Amino acid sequence: MKGNHSGTVRTGRKWRLTSEDLWGYAFIAVAMIVFCVFTVYPVISAFFTSFEEYKPLGSTFVALENYKTTFTNDLFYKSVWNTLVYTVFTVPLSLCISFLVAIMILPFSRKVQSVFKSLYYLPAVASGVALSVVWLWIYDPLPTGLLNSLLSVFGIDNVNWLGSSRTAMFSLILMALLAGHGTQIIIYLAALLGVPNSLFEAADLDGATFLQKLWYIVIPLVKPTTLFLLVTGIIGSFQVFMNAYMMTGGGPDNATTMVGLLIFNNAFKYSDYGLACAQALVLAVVIAAVSLLQFKLMGEDVEY
Amino acid sequence: MSGLYSQHLNRPWLRTVRNGLISLVLIALAVATLFPIYYMIVSSFGAPVEAGGASYSLFPTTLTLDSYKFFFDFSPYSARWLLNSLVVGLVTVLGNVVFAGLAGYAFAKIRFKGKRFLFYALLCAMMIPYQVTQVPLYMLMVNQLHLSNTYAALVAPTFVTAYNVFLCKQFMSSLPTEIIECAKIEGCNQLQIYLKIIMPLSKTVLAVMAILTFMNSWNNFFWPFLVTSKDYMQTIQVGLKNFKFANTTYFAPMMAGATISALPMFILFFSLQKYFLEGVTIGAVKG
Amino acid sequence: MKKLLSVLVAAALTVTMLAACGGSGSSSAGGSAAASASGTAAEAPDTITMLLPPVSTTYQDQLSVWAEEFNAMYPNLTLEFENASWEDYKDKLDVQINAGTPPDIAFVEYDRVGTLADSGLMVDISTLISDEELADFDESALEFYRLDEGLYGLPVYISVQCLGGNKAMMEEAGIDWQSVQQNGWTFEEFREAIKAGATDDHYGFIFACAGVTAADYLNIMVKNAGMPAPFDEDLKFAYTSQNFLELLKCLRQIIDDGSTPAEMGSVDAGKRWNMFLTGQTMIFGKGLANFEGLAAENNAKLAADDGTAVEGSIETEYVVLPVPTFFGEAQQAQGSAGGYSMFRTVEEPDPVHQANVMKALYFMASGERAAFTCNELYLSGLSESARTAMAEIENEVPRNENNANAMALLTEQAAPARPDIPAEKTAQATRLMDEVIVPKFQALLAGETTPEEMYEAVCQAAIETFGEDGVVQD
Repeated sequence: MKGNHSGTVRTGRKWRLTSEDLWGYAFIAVAMIVFCVFTVYPVISAFFTSFEEYKPLGSTFVALENYKTTFTNDLFYKSVWNTLVYTVFTVPLSLCISFLVAIMILPFSRKVQSVFKSLYYLPAVASGVALSVVWLWIYDPLPTGLLNSLLSVFGIDNVNWLGSSRTAMFSLILMALLAGHGTQIIIYLAALLGVPNSLFEAADLDGATFLQKLWYIVIPLVKPTTLFLLVTGIIGSFQVFMNAYMMTGGGPDNATTMVGLLIFNNAFKYSDYGLACAQALVLAVVIAAVSLLQFKLMGEDVEY
Repeated sequence: MSGLYSQHLNRPWLRTVRNGLISLVLIALAVATLFPIYYMIVSSFGAPVEAGGASYSLFPTTLTLDSYKFFFDFSPYSARWLLNSLVVGLVTVLGNVVFAGLAGYAFAKIRFKGKRFLFYALLCAMMIPYQVTQVPLYMLMVNQLHLSNTYAALVAPTFVTAYNVFLCKQFMSSLPTEIIECAKIEGCNQLQIYLKIIMPLSKTVLAVMAILTFMNSWNNFFWPFLVTSKDYMQTIQVGLKNFKFANTTYFAPMMAGATISALPMFILFFSLQKYFLEGVTIGAVKG
Repeated sequence: MKKLLSVLVAAALTVTMLAACGGSGSSSAGGSAAASASGTAAEAPDTITMLLPPVSTTYQDQLSVWAEEFNAMYPNLTLEFENASWEDYKDKLDVQINAGTPPDIAFVEYDRVGTLADSGLMVDISTLISDEELADFDESALEFYRLDEGLYGLPVYISVQCLGGNKAMMEEAGIDWQSVQQNGWTFEEFREAIKAGATDDHYGFIFACAGVTAADYLNIMVKNAGMPAPFDEDLKFAYTSQNFLELLKCLRQIIDDGSTPAEMGSVDAGKRWNMFLTGQTMIFGKGLANFEGLAAENNAKLAADDGTAVEGSIETEYVVLPVPTFFGEAQQAQGSAGGYSMFRTVEEPDPVHQANVMKALYFMASGERAAFTCNELYLSGLSESARTAMAEIENEVPRNENNANAMALLTEQAAPARPDIPAEKTAQATRLMDEVIVPKFQALLAGETTPEEMYEAVCQAAIETFGEDGVVQD
C-alpha cells in the first residue's frame, strides 16, 4: 500500500480502532455476513465431510481415506489435466479476443458502439441449456451435419466432432471461444472508457503512435480489470462442467472429463459426498495457488 | 469517442476507411458469435413437436407462434415464473449494487485492519465448486430455517457475491486517491465521500454489475430448483427445464422459452446503455 | 457445535433478510387438508409429499386428478406433488437425501435402488405393506425392487429394450421381419440384414451412442451375449469373459462393414429418431414401445399435408425388433423397471405417518394410476389391479398386434432381476462401467482403439476392483 495518509491521526497501534477501521467494517458488514452464512459455513461443513464416509443417518470418520482415493485415482489426474488444457486454451485466448473487440468498438460513435455491444452481448443472455442444444446440432457428426457440410465445401473430410477423442476437447474449446465473450467485452469496455482522455491528448502531443498509446497507457491502466477477468476466468474454467455434462458426458475415452464433472458425478451420481468434498477442496487449493500466482505476477493493485 | 484513436483530422477519408475495415472485422466476428442465437430464435417459430422433429435446417420452413402459445399454455404458471425471476433478479441486483459497491470501495480505498485477510478470504470463497456447498446450504435454508418456497431463499445466497465485490474493488482501486483526500479535508465522512463522489464516478461499473448480476440471477437454475417445490414459486429457468419430457424434448417451445427468457435481460441491457458510456467523466475529474 | 453454528447463522440471516425483502409465498396448501379432516375425526390430517419426473406424456396433468381421488378415499390425507425433469429430479433427490429430508415418496428406477438404499433413508416396505397389497403384484416384477430380504419399492412398469425397424425398408431388403419378431435372430443374420439394408440413401443400422448413452448400446447387446447381469451366479464380474471380447469384435465389425456410420458414437437420441422418420436408417436403437404411436402420429400429419410433420420425413411404419443374440446364447432382453419408493427423514419415523405413506405408495403403484401410465407407455401392467383397470380404459391406444406380441414375447424372455447382487458390488460395477468401460467403448466406436486393447483395459481395471478371484476368467 502506498503512503496515503488518512485524515485521522493514528495513535495506539494495536487494537484501537480508528474511524477508518470502523467505516471499513461498516461498509463491508453486509457483504461479510452474507459471505459467512452462505460460503464460510458450507465450506467448513464440506471440510469436515471430506474426512467422512458421508451418510445422512450417521457418517463414519475415515480420516484421510477420501484424499487417498483422490490422489490414487488415475481419472482424477486425467481430469485435472483436461481441465488445465481447457483453461490454458480458453481463458487467455478469450481474454485477448474480448480485449481486441473492446478496442475495436471504441473508435465509433455512441450509437454504433451500442449496436456492437448489444450484438456481442446477446449470446451471453441466452440460457446455456438452449445453446448447448444448438451446438450439438452444429457438431452433428454425419456428413449432413452443419459444420461438416460447411467444411466439405472446402474439401475437408468429415469430422466426428464430439465423438472422437482427438477432436472432442477441441470442439469444446472452439465452442467456448465462439459462444460469446459478452460479459468480458462489457467489462473491458467499461474499463477502457474509464481511461482519461487527457492521457491520450498528452501522448498525442509527444507524437505517440497508436501501438505506443495502447502499450504504455491502455494496457497498464486496465490491468486491474485484466487481473479480475483472468482470475474469475480461471476460477470459472476450473469449475466448468456444464458443457462436458451437456455435450459429451466426459467422453469419449474420458477425453473431456473435467474435475467439475467428476465432483458432480461423485456428489450426485454415486452419492459419494465425502469424496466429492475432498476433491472439491483439492481443486480449490489448486485454483487458489494459480490465482495467487496471478496476483504476484500482475502486481496486486494499481493505485495512483 | 476515445482519444486512443487518431482522428485523422487532416485526412478524413483515412478515418472512414479505417472504421470501415474495423466494422467488417467486428461484423464477421459477431456473425460467428450470434449464429447459435439466430438458430435459437428461428427454431422458436417452429411447430411444437418433439425432438425428432427439430428442424435440422438453417432457414425457417414454418413460421408460427404456436410454440410461444404452447409455452404459455404449458403451465398455468408460465407468466408467474417470469414474474418470480424478475423479482428475484431485481432484489439481487439491488443488494449487490448497494452492498457490493460499498464493500468494493472499502476494500479499494479505506484502510482498515484485517483488510487483506478478509479480501483474500472472500476471493477463496469463489474457488469452492458449488456442487459441495449445495448440500450444507440446503440443510441450512430448508431444514433449519424452513425457508423453502420463499423469495428469501431464492435471493439470500447471491444477495452480495464475492465476484461483484472483487469487480468493484478492481474498478474503484483505479480511481484517483487525491479526490478522496480532498473531500476528507473538506470534512466529508466516508459515507458522504462514497455517495457524493465515488458512486457518480462508478456509474459505469455499477451498471455493468447490475446487468451481469441480473443475468446470472435470471439464468440460475440449480439453486432455485432445489429450494422451490411449488410450481408458483419456481423461476423461469426451473420452469423451462420442465419442457424436457420423457425421452423427447419439445424443441421449439424450449427455444421459445429461451427466447422469452432472454428478452427481459435485453431490455434491461438497453435501458442501462447510457450508463455504460459515461466512463469518460473520471478523466474530467482527474484532469 | 453444529447447533451453535446454525443458531449463529440463523441470527445473522435474520439481519440480512431485513435488507433483502422476504416476500414469502407459502400459504394455501394446508387449507384443504384441514377442511377435509373433519369427516373422520379419529384420524389426524397428514400430508404426503412426492417428487416425480414426467413418467409418461400426460402423466403430470393427471396428478391432480389422482390427488382428488386419493383424498376422497382417505379424507384426512393430502397428496402433494413436486415435478421435475428426468435428469433433474435425481439430482434433487440426492441433495435432499444427503440433507436428510427426502420427500415421502419418489419415483425410482430399479437400477438406483442399491445406491439409494445405501443411504439408509430408503424404507424397506416389506413390513409395512399388507399381504393383500403385496399379492396384487407379480412376484417377478417385485424382484426388481428387492435387495437381500428387503423390498424397496413397488414397480409400475417394466420396459424391455429392443430395436426398431422401418417396415418398408426391411421388406425391400428382403428381411422377413415377422419371423425375426417371432424367432429372434443371431448376430450373423442381423449383420447380413443391415448390410443388405444399407444403401446410398440410408444406413442399415444406427444406435444413439452420444456421450453417456453409449452405455445403453453396450448394455443391451451384452445381455444377449450370455451376460444378463454384470455378475454371474457366483457373483464374479462377468465382463472379463472371452464372450465380452468377441462381442466387442462383433460391434466393431458392423461399423467396418459400413452398415452403420463411423460417427455413430456421437449420434444422440433425438437425432436417431429423426433419422428414422426421415428415412436415413432402416433399423435403429434403442427402440421404445411408444415410438409406434409417434410414428403413426407423424404419418397422420404427412397425410394431412399441413406442414406440421417432421421436416423431410417420409411415411414410416415402426416394427419392434429383438436385439440379435450372440454365440448361440439365449435371448434375454434387458428389462428396466420404474416404480415408487418410500423415504424417511433423519428423524425417527412416525409409524402413523409411515402407514399413511404406505397407502399413498400402493395407491400410486396400482390400479388405474398404474394402468394409465402403462397405457401411455405402450406397456402392460404389473399388478392384478392395474391389468383389471387397463381393460376398462376407454381411450386405450391402438396397438399394432405384431408389435404387441413381439413386446410380450420379449418381456417373457427378459433377464430376471438379480436381488442377490449386493449393493456395494453394484456400486463398484457402476463406477467401473462409467469410468473405464464406457469411455473405452466410446473410443472403440470412434475407431481409436481395438477390441483387444479395450478388453485388456477392462480386465485390468476389473481385477484392480474385484481382485483376481472376483472376476470371470475363462
